[in-house]
Amino acid sequence: MKPVSELSYNQALAELEQILAALRGDDCDVDRLTAMTSRAVELLNHCRSRLTTTDEELRRILDDLQN
Amino acid sequence: MSVAISSMPDMNRPLSLLQLNNRISSAIVADSGLRDVWVTAETGDLRVSGGHCYLELIEKDPDTGRPVARLRAVIWASAFARISAEFVASTGQRLVSDIRIMACVNVNFHPVFGLSAVITAVNPEFTCGDLLRRRRLMIERLTAEGIIDMNRTLTWPDVPWRVAVISAKGAAGYGDFITHLYNNPSRLRFHTRLFPAVLQGESAPRSIISALDRIAADDEDFDCVVIIRGGGATGDLASFDDYDLAANVAQFPVPVIVGIGHERDVTILDYVAAVRVKTPTAAAEWLIGKLDAALAKVRDLASEIFRAATSRVSGGLQQLAYCQGLLPSLVLGRVQRSLEALNSSVPDALVHLVGDILRRRRDRLDSAAQLLDALSPQSVLRRGYAICRVDGHAVADASLLTPGAIVTTTLARGSFEARVISDNKQ
Repeated sequence: MKPVSELSYNQALAELEQILAALRGDDCDVDRLTAMTSRAVELLNHCRSRLTTTDEELRRILDDLQN
Repeated sequence: MSVAISSMPDMNRPLSLLQLNNRISSAIVADSGLRDVWVTAETGDLRVSGGHCYLELIEKDPDTGRPVARLRAVIWASAFARISAEFVASTGQRLVSDIRIMACVNVNFHPVFGLSAVITAVNPEFTCGDLLRRRRLMIERLTAEGIIDMNRTLTWPDVPWRVAVISAKGAAGYGDFITHLYNNPSRLRFHTRLFPAVLQGESAPRSIISALDRIAADDEDFDCVVIIRGGGATGDLASFDDYDLAANVAQFPVPVIVGIGHERDVTILDYVAAVRVKTPTAAAEWLIGKLDAALAKVRDLASEIFRAATSRVSGGLQQLAYCQGLLPSLVLGRVQRSLEALNSSVPDALVHLVGDILRRRRDRLDSAAQLLDALSPQSVLRRGYAICRVDGHAVADASLLTPGAIVTTTLARGSFEARVISDNKQ
């Protein structure tokens, strides 16, 4: 499995959809539940951080604009 | 030579240049065909100075584009304010160079400044119609070339966060766009890069095309291009109605958003760009909407995964609890049944078994006792046998007896003494 940081936004999103389908499916192994869920959390954080910015970043960008 | 000249009329009374120019001027003033004439022409070299507007009226050969007629013109400040306001209100753009106008003129000849047309009125409808006609021709050409819909039918990426901005650096419109884009409530992340260009006047199309070329050549991948300039109704819309610019935008490989700040009027770019917005702020809003939708999708996925995982876990726990609840009763039941089995079948068998053993032992003892009983001297005696003793010793051999010896004889019941009379030795 590729590290999350190497995935593009769309790849991460596609993998999230797969995990969701697996979780909803009948063949979801409880042994893999923890692994799948923690992977999902990683992917979600990756997507979120791709979409949203931090205060610090924002301040830097707006400072640049004023200079 | 001198004879020839002197023969010409009035040679001895020449006019001063001023007199001549006055004569020209009078002739022009006297000609009613040069007063309040409506004329159509292209504008050129237009400038405003001291409130007056100076320009050239030009007619070009439609095929070659070369001027075939030219006349200097002026709109005096007293009329210009009114004419300009009406023109902007009707056409959505200022009176500028390189547009076609219909003007009402009075032709004057000034002794110093020469021939000029004083414009007293302008018909904005003509210019509107002309712009529309020019635009229609461009649309027909772009359609015939099969490129008019190319940019508009591009697929937008789900997250268009890398934005190339074409704007004038330091322009209010650019500032509005950036401020609005980055101050979005969801804290959406954007990456913008400015490609400066001239967004006003004749040079705008070339400048914008060159910015597009720089974006296309850049290693950085952009998700879209935003072409913006500050709002306000004053503008030179006609400069955007440029075939080359439209063809470049139409064929640009990523979607283009155009927000050049015209409320009512459209340009050819509105027909070719993927998205048309009215202001730079609206362009920012549009992008924010896209990323907000993406963020909402991630949020939905998160809660769906949470629900699915939680229901998996709780389903598992329920199953476990069920098993756990079942387990004691299963085990207890088993033990109970074992106990019952022990209480019932096993002890019975044991009792039987032991009983059998005891019975067999007892039977054996009984028979042994019977045997013993049968073998005991008493039972022998009861059958009529007697024990003979001499001097306390049992006598089993008659030859050992001598006559006269006293023999003590024991019977089953009682005993007696007897004397040996004779031995039966024969």
